[in-house]
Amino acid sequence: MTAQPAIAPLAAADDATVSLWRDAWTRLSRNKLAVASLAVIAILALVAIFGPWLTPYDFLSQDLEARNLSPNWAHPFGTDELGRDVFSRVIYGTRTAFVVAIVVTGIAATLGVVLGAVAGYFGGLIDRFVMWCTDTTMSVPQLLLVVVINASLKPPLVNFMEAQYELTRNPFFRNSIIVDFVLVFGSMALILWPPYARLIRAQVLSIRNRPYVTAARALGLSTPIIISRYVIPNSIGPLIVAISAGLGNAMVLESAFSFLGVGVNPPIPSWGNMISDGLQVWRNHAHLLAAPAIVLGLATVAFSFLGDGLNDALNPKGSK
Amino acid sequence: MSERLLEVKDLSIEIATRRGPATIVDGIDLHVDKGETLGIVGESGCGKSLTMLSLVRLLPNKIRVSNGTAAFAGRDLLQLSSRELREVRGGKIGFVFQDPMTSLNPVMKIGEQLIEPLLYHREMSKAEARKRAGELLRLVGIPGAEQRLDSYPHELSGGMRQRVMIAIGLACEPELLIADEPTTALDVTIQAQIVDLVKDLRKRLGMSVVWITHDLALIAGLADRICVLYAGTVVEDAPVEQLFAEPAHPYTRGLLASIPRMDGEDAERLNSIGGTPPEPGRRPAGCPFAPRCPMAQEICRTTVPELQPLRGETTPHRVACHVANRVLEAA
Repeated sequence: MTAQPAIAPLAAADDATVSLWRDAWTRLSRNKLAVASLAVIAILALVAIFGPWLTPYDFLSQDLEARNLSPNWAHPFGTDELGRDVFSRVIYGTRTAFVVAIVVTGIAATLGVVLGAVAGYFGGLIDRFVMWCTDTTMSVPQLLLVVVINASLKPPLVNFMEAQYELTRNPFFRNSIIVDFVLVFGSMALILWPPYARLIRAQVLSIRNRPYVTAARALGLSTPIIISRYVIPNSIGPLIVAISAGLGNAMVLESAFSFLGVGVNPPIPSWGNMISDGLQVWRNHAHLLAAPAIVLGLATVAFSFLGDGLNDALNPKGSK
Repeated sequence: MSERLLEVKDLSIEIATRRGPATIVDGIDLHVDKGETLGIVGESGCGKSLTMLSLVRLLPNKIRVSNGTAAFAGRDLLQLSSRELREVRGGKIGFVFQDPMTSLNPVMKIGEQLIEPLLYHREMSKAEARKRAGELLRLVGIPGAEQRLDSYPHELSGGMRQRVMIAIGLACEPELLIADEPTTALDVTIQAQIVDLVKDLRKRLGMSVVWITHDLALIAGLADRICVLYAGTVVEDAPVEQLFAEPAHPYTRGLLASIPRMDGEDAERLNSIGGTPPEPGRRPAGCPFAPRCPMAQEICRTTVPELQPLRGETTPHRVACHVANRVLEAA
């Protein structure tokens, strides 16, 4: 009688459809730090999505009677030197941070995966060329590259938009925010893709000689199918980890560029330019620096801990 | 005489090393008739797998075919364009690989992997292909076949996975199935099941099979004819009964003698062939087996023996040995 319960779970585990992903999820959910990080990210994401319904004030409305207020019940994070509600601005900054992080990481990772996979699978001259591109990009200081791109591409882009507006009278072309975002997305993606390409290339190099890839070739499948269905899905574990850490990294970078004035320009709230503004008056009004800095710190830490957690969860051999 | 499906002539394969190219496979001649099962036997590294992989140009980097032809249904496989080659791969020639644990894509469901060649070679719709995939799994004896389509490889045992591999190899009803040590990674009872399965399928589908192995006992019950390879050359080629009845090459004798027997008097001690095969690039001038051969003569060390019929032109039993007749007398 007593032996039966011991046997039952074994049989059940054998029959249950435990997919690789569910397996990873189980391991991830046992990691408290990763779960907490996931919760923080989820809250921030919800804040970003539902921002307009959460903000108590318009992020642009100024109340010159109530400038530089410390946190209080009416303004949880206080107000800035123009009397704008910092809480509302941090919420909108979250939207900026998420949009930039997701779009930039998306572009950079896609570019990196395609180029890295092609380089790794075919090798030879293609490989050398792609690796030469990554080396060249990575050897130039990131900030310098972004500043150069912004400075050199902004005027022509603005002129182009102006010309299009004259031509079509479409108010879309009058929107300076579009120019800002296009430049930020483009320049950041350009400096962030090489690590993804290197990662995927290394993965592909080890996977392209696995027996199942030979087996797929022996079935007469075409190279694009083999790369997209056999090689890339099997190299994706480390990529997910890199993307998770990369999202946090992109947020920091965006803030850094805004801080330096080459990122998103006022009046669009960005944590970076809020920190930049707050830094000038932090001795008297510390909350102006603290509010965006703490949220930025929280987001970055959450993304990197989630990345660590995913790394362990997707690598059953790694820990445990 | 039955129809030739595959005829490999004078096939040589070499590997690029730092000291220049070294020959791994040295002028192999072999053929497979329609509906025939050919067993290819030899020890590790003798070029069994490379020979078969070279037919569909799946050789690893730095290894290439340096000479020879491989006529398959009248066309030279080694001259096909890459488009024609893809038609042959999977469509005309199916492969089953050695290690079922690593030869299936771990992140794709069994069903999807089965469907892939059908979509490509047979241009079936997804629904048709899925139906066919279920039939294939039933054909190779997987219980609950339709439900198993949605399983991942890691949910199946080794034997089940090898059945799936066979089903994938058979998906497009190839004329030739090349099985590269398909049972090496499996335990003995499963081995027997897989052998029976292939025998049964061959009868039902009328295809030819090339079965690569180093296990003579296993191949005895399966093959019509056996090719013994040593150091990249065919040393003996004979119908299975004749090979076992009168092995004419000293190497074949050595292989047969090293099969463990439980019934013999000297059951304690296992026979083995002394020494190791020559390294590629350091092949002896004469017969490659001469340094290990107990019967080697002077001529063996200087002249490479030709693969010749054993007694007269009419016998299908061919052997590459200068002293074959003496080997037979000694028996």
